[in-house]
Amino acid sequence: MKTDDLITLLASDPAPAPAAPLGLRAGIGLLAGLAVTLVLFFWLLGPRYALFSAESDPVVAAKTVLPLVLGLLAVVLTLRSVRPGASLGRTRRAIWLVPAAGAALFFWAFVTTPEQARLRDFLGHSIPVCLPFIVVLSVPLYAGFLAALRSGAATRPALSGALAGLAAAGIATTVYSTFCNEDSPLFYATWYSAGILIATGLGALVGARLLRW
Amino acid sequence: MPDRNQHWSDLLRRANRGDGAAYAAFLAEVAPVVRTICRQRSGGAEDVEDIVQEVLLAVHAKRHTWREADPVTPWLYAIARYKTADAGRRRRGQGGQVPIETVAEVLPEETGDTTAARDLAQLLGRIDTHSAGIVRSVGIEGQSAGEVGARLGMTEGAVRVAYHRALVKLKDLAGAEADRAD
Repeated sequence: MKTDDLITLLASDPAPAPAAPLGLRAGIGLLAGLAVTLVLFFWLLGPRYALFSAESDPVVAAKTVLPLVLGLLAVVLTLRSVRPGASLGRTRRAIWLVPAAGAALFFWAFVTTPEQARLRDFLGHSIPVCLPFIVVLSVPLYAGFLAALRSGAATRPALSGALAGLAAAGIATTVYSTFCNEDSPLFYATWYSAGILIATGLGALVGARLLRW
Repeated sequence: MPDRNQHWSDLLRRANRGDGAAYAAFLAEVAPVVRTICRQRSGGAEDVEDIVQEVLLAVHAKRHTWREADPVTPWLYAIARYKTADAGRRRRGQGGQVPIETVAEVLPEETGDTTAARDLAQLLGRIDTHSAGIVRSVGIEGQSAGEVGARLGMTEGAVRVAYHRALVKLKDLAGAEADRAD
């Protein structure tokens, strides 16, 4: 087929009118994923004892709020990344404030924790629960988000996949943090980050395949 | 050229609201620029025109991802670069290439040859049934795109686009096949 002929026939089929804008689809996908994540959470884990009085301590609240901020910023970045040629904007830099805050909390806790308690707080008692559950709770969110993102056009599928993984993991970690009773930043700044990084890496691998078009 | 960006934005905006003439103008003006990008990025591949067509199809399929407030050229160039890189990857992964014309000409003419017919049937079995049905109707049975469209509830243009895409897919499959035979 000649290119001119192709142009003629493409032009005979105008009016794209996508069923729903990308942002709306993504919102629906994420909410559907969140519903599944919450079912898994209440079925397998459930909130900790005296959740609200625990979260009234800002250091404890940080382990819920920081991943949420991370996740929401990552949602914005992901949506930008699936529009060809669009810039990621200032959010690209702003998102680094979250790991910076995590690192600051870690060092604050390191300084204020007595030397003999540091290793105990750092290792905690729930690493084998924390790491797999952050990843598992991320999966439904990631799946819902990714389904919507496929209607976009990722020109860097691995990057978009990683960002989607980061977004899903941020929200999943927010949910997980209401179960977890490890309240030292020595624990959560380390192991939450590790769980989020694993989910982000998996997101990049899956995105590199499924977001190609 | 800021003018060009504005001009193309204007055309694509009108196109996205259903103005076929503006869309034809947009695609026709954009094609030479896309061709230059494809040629540069593919290192002067022989099948540049195939890549150009893939880019135009991609622009067509993803034109809802352009937002009217954004400039058109970064959007367009990003798609052209992506599709050219994608074509390059596929070509490297595949070794040989079968020009689309070869497959297109084989389809209607060699159905009398049982080997080719069997190969084709096998290839068609490996793409989705919807696309395979369109290739059978248009390519083998010689129905017009309009007839097929009326039957499937698609516009004639949509049938042609689906047919073209299916041929690209078949070409890839045939290329992979030929490779394995070597």
